[in-house]
Amino acid sequence: MAVTIGKRKRRNDVDIREESASEDSDDLRTRFQRAFEAKFKPLKISPPPSKPGEVEEEDVAEQGEESDWSGFSEDAEDNVVVVDHARANSGNDEVRQHEVKAFMSSRPPSLSEKRAKVTSKQPKGDAEEDGNETANLKNDLALQRLLKESHLLDPSSFNSSNAAPEGKSRLKALDLRLQDLGAKKGTLEQERMPLSHRKGIKTKAATREATRRKDAAENGIILERVKATKAPERRREKGVDVPSVGKFKGGTLKLSSRDVKSIEGPRKSIGGKGRRS
Amino acid sequence: MTTAPTPTPLKFTGAKYLIQRLVLATLTGRPIRISQIRSSSHTAPGLAPHEVSFLRLLDAITNGSHIEFSYTGTTVLYKPGLITGSAAGHGAAGGVIRHELPADCARGVSYFLLPLCLLAPFSKAQVNVLFTGPGVITSSTEAGDVSADTVRTAVLPVFRSFGIERNVEVRILRRSNCGREGKGGGGEVQVVLGHQVRLPKTLHLMSAGRVKRVRGVAYSTGVAGANNARLIEAARGVLNEFCPDTYVFSDVSPAPLVPAPERNNPSAKKKTGLGFGLSLVAEGNTGVLYSADIASPPQGGEPPEDLGKKCAYQLLEAVGQGGCVSSVAAPSVFTLMAMGSEDVGRIAVGKDVVGSEQVLQLARDLRAFGMSGWGLREGDEEDEVVVSIVGKGVGNVGRKIA
Repeated sequence: MAVTIGKRKRRNDVDIREESASEDSDDLRTRFQRAFEAKFKPLKISPPPSKPGEVEEEDVAEQGEESDWSGFSEDAEDNVVVVDHARANSGNDEVRQHEVKAFMSSRPPSLSEKRAKVTSKQPKGDAEEDGNETANLKNDLALQRLLKESHLLDPSSFNSSNAAPEGKSRLKALDLRLQDLGAKKGTLEQERMPLSHRKGIKTKAATREATRRKDAAENGIILERVKATKAPERRREKGVDVPSVGKFKGGTLKLSSRDVKSIEGPRKSIGGKGRRS
Repeated sequence: MTTAPTPTPLKFTGAKYLIQRLVLATLTGRPIRISQIRSSSHTAPGLAPHEVSFLRLLDAITNGSHIEFSYTGTTVLYKPGLITGSAAGHGAAGGVIRHELPADCARGVSYFLLPLCLLAPFSKAQVNVLFTGPGVITSSTEAGDVSADTVRTAVLPVFRSFGIERNVEVRILRRSNCGREGKGGGGEVQVVLGHQVRLPKTLHLMSAGRVKRVRGVAYSTGVAGANNARLIEAARGVLNEFCPDTYVFSDVSPAPLVPAPERNNPSAKKKTGLGFGLSLVAEGNTGVLYSADIASPPQGGEPPEDLGKKCAYQLLEAVGQGGCVSSVAAPSVFTLMAMGSEDVGRIAVGKDVVGSEQVLQLARDLRAFGMSGWGLREGDEEDEVVVSIVGKGVGNVGRKIA
């Protein structure tokens, strides 16, 4: 066949010389087709009807080629077995990729660790119940917050339609929530300020606390106990070469009885053991 | 405050188990004197290059340790300091200690990795060491070292049961087999051991379970990747019959280049560490790990099919020994158990593993360092022994004092 899609067949020189004249246009077309097919999809063209003479030549050429293949037998055509390797592998590919990552990374692989499964979403059973559940949760949260932050609400500007705190109290509420979640310091706390301001704030807080306690005591209300705050122990300033116990005076180290006790420890001396000469 | 008088050094002889003794000395804080190190050898008496290198590494990750060699190198006095890890200011640049191994080092990098993994949990800061230089062999060696892969996949997961699991990494930056005559490589391995514990958890491992899967890494450096495929094919041929869930990953990398300066070309480099190898890990349903390792010999002449088969048989042998810990990880596990809290830890181990020379010597050495003895009794399985070890609560010496 002159126009074949796909592999070019080997032909004898003789053939070409004979055909060359008639094939000029065909050849051109094949070339165009090749160029087209290189860019786009192959064309579906039924080969143009070949001339009877050519067919004969082709037959002769084919007969010349020897082949042992005798074609399909009749039975083989009946029961064709389709083997598809691609499908068996396709599902495993993702797993393998994950395993490569887990095993070949620099960390020791946790082989027993189960792969996070892509769980298919559960079919929605009761949409109504779910809606109820979420509403309940929402209300619960709102109630919790109201209880916790109710002291922030200003009774004068409180409107019951919108219970969420606003303005300054919103910021305070936010701060509270953050501290609930474990924030160390309040966001509203000012870090740097003049010393006089800080002192003022402290004294104000102290007086407020004192009046609260006083009022409570007068009204017979029992308050929480005062937390005893220990003043940080000041270390006595000492010279470099001064002994850590006693007083060094006039070339003698004088130990007070307290010093001696502190050295000896709480243990009671038995017999002559504790006595020193 | 007066310092406590230093205890008299414990005396050991011989080059064998040198590393083990140095590690125990560092962990317990006892000074040791090791004498007669290859004293009978006329050609190479004294410490070998890799041993000296390990002493350097010890010096790098501790503070205040004191090492004394005799002239011939046949005697070493080691007074351990505190394990500081890669703390800044002690030879660690940017938090990483660079440890260069000499070109005549014939041991694999796991020779350094395993003791380092034992010391790191008790360190003050995290241990971050980069092994580099012309002597780093990441593959397994004929001297009996496992590959760096095996350390990562079969030994470090065992540390998890001691509570050492976070921030643990063994990063093989460049692979290398043994170089010519089995000496030197050109690899690069970075180890990060960032989980420090006060005391390792008490271990109770009684049931070994059954092997459920086999994983592995086949590596070839500087040779055709087809070697990997052949190794894997041969190994799977043996293993698939016993465990269908067998998968071996393949890693092909170019040969490392190490500087080889010549007179007229001072910047010349040469390829080294060509070869291939296989590391297999079998995992049981209870998390037990068995491993096998093999690498092409430096003189060559072994087809990958043979090596793959050998490695698979090795793995089967390790599985056959049974127990909850393989012989590769056993010394580390026993040492960590002895360092644990003052509680009885129990582990079922194969009789062949306990009866191996190294483990017996470890038991004796632990005894010498003042640890308690081991209790042995028959296990549930036929060839298993339950070893009970009481920890000494030695734990983190460095932290206690500092």
